[in-house]
Amino acid sequence: MKIIVHRERCQGHARCWALAPDIFDLDDEGFVVSGNIDVNPQDEDRAWRAAKSCPERALTVEK
Amino acid sequence: MERLPEHVPQELVTGFSLYSSPEMVPTPMGDPQAAAAKALLAGPPIVYTPLATRDGVGAWVITRAEDQRRILQDGVTFSSFRNTFSAAIGESWPLIPLEIDPPDHSAWRSLLNPLLSPRRVVALEGQVRARAVELIEGIKARGTECDVMTDFAFPFAVNIFLQFLGIPDDRLMEFVGWANDMLHSTPEARTAAAHKVLGFLDDLADLRRREPTDDFMTFVLDADIFGRKMTPHEVRAMSILLFIGGLDTVAAAIGFDLYHLARFPADQSDLRRNPEKILLAAEEFLRAYATITPLRTVTADVEVNGVLMKKGDIVSCPSMVANRDPMEFPNPEKIDLQREDNRHTAFAYGPHRCLGSHLARREIVVGLEEFLARIPAFRIKPGTTPMTFGGYVFGVENLILDWSA
Ligand code: HEM
Ligand code: SF4
Repeated sequence: MKIIVHRERCQGHARCWALAPDIFDLDDEGFVVSGNIDVNPQDEDRAWRAAKSCPERALTVEK
Repeated sequence: MERLPEHVPQELVTGFSLYSSPEMVPTPMGDPQAAAAKALLAGPPIVYTPLATRDGVGAWVITRAEDQRRILQDGVTFSSFRNTFSAAIGESWPLIPLEIDPPDHSAWRSLLNPLLSPRRVVALEGQVRARAVELIEGIKARGTECDVMTDFAFPFAVNIFLQFLGIPDDRLMEFVGWANDMLHSTPEARTAAAHKVLGFLDDLADLRRREPTDDFMTFVLDADIFGRKMTPHEVRAMSILLFIGGLDTVAAAIGFDLYHLARFPADQSDLRRNPEKILLAAEEFLRAYATITPLRTVTADVEVNGVLMKKGDIVSCPSMVANRDPMEFPNPEKIDLQREDNRHTAFAYGPHRCLGSHLARREIVVGLEEFLARIPAFRIKPGTTPMTFGGYVFGVENLILDWSA
């Protein structure tokens, strides 16, 4: 599974990081770091939850 | 009341107002978020209210999460530029960054974001907790009841701001008084208090110009914006927003949360027994008891979800309504303290996303943790009646909790 990061839509709510700090990294301003994320199979559930929690819909999941 | 603009179709006009409808005016033991959501979600996605502010300005009301997201993400078509706060005290300047538009807005946010970033807030947690503990222990020492807003929620919020600015605690009660007057008093007292706070901030800036130290004001005075230093005017327009932005909002959030826990003892004992659940529960409380309605001005004719809006129209996005949109949240009326995928809009969407949201979340979570850990099972004091209300910031007052045996 892959998380597509639409960085231009991120507004720094940091919900992704709050739910899965080991999967999502934030920059100094609190925005998600650019670049899509390959998710390990054992982390898929948490990564999915985190993506679904983004109020801006800046994270989409690609199977 | 103004005349209805010609492009507003009669069938989209709603009689509901966040200021004057039943449950929006002070109501004994009300549930204003549920009432607003029920009234507005029963109608079309976008309606027009002739009464969108306290002074009766008309506005579009965007009720669905999807449309609010689109509007609040587009700061070019939907401008935040206003002078609401300064106009109320007879002046004319925008609050920074709330009333500033892109592209300047993003320069201000880049400057401020690191100060209140999620990581920075982790570092502030110890101070936040110490404040909460101090206030709650004070309450306990005085007896077996408290007025949540005046004894805890409001002084807690004011205290955190003072700490953020690096102002000694001995001025707490003075600031609580100013904050109270500024937000909850007659227009004259409001203006006087606002001038006192502005004067205080100006003095603090002068002091830090002469004697820099390692605090917020020194940082601000040192910072570069648009390749230059900030003007004294910009310093105050920004500092005062940090003050007022985190007072009523944080206090109301804590108020509504404790009001919920007093009314629903099963939820109270669940969080008491399982404090690790508070983190997720706080998000659900933010969804269910959101308090703010962001306002925007249309800068160019635009169609949203089939409705034509004209340049100059005002648009309002009540967060507590979008937060109960069934297209966004399954079973939105159910307050489920362990709800997942909770992409609520209590802190708005888009570039103006609450700058203090990470700090606010910490204050709420720590406040609830310490209150539940230190105060025994509580209820609304028999014979007393909390009053809830709507408006620009929803709230609850006279919330007297009692834990006598
Ligand atoms: C639960 C508590 C809070 C709630 C519900 C809340 C809500 C909001 C909302 C909805 C907005 C967007 C307004 C708009 O777009 O028109 C906002 C903006 C803002 N808030 Fe908060 N807020 C809270 C706490 C705080 C705190 C603690 C601070 C200060 C540390 C703060 C400072 C700000 C600032 C500076 C802005 C303007 C951001 C910008 O325009 O870019 N807020 N807040
Ligand atoms: S949840 Fe969304 S908006 Fe928030 S930091 Fe993550 S990507 Fe950005």
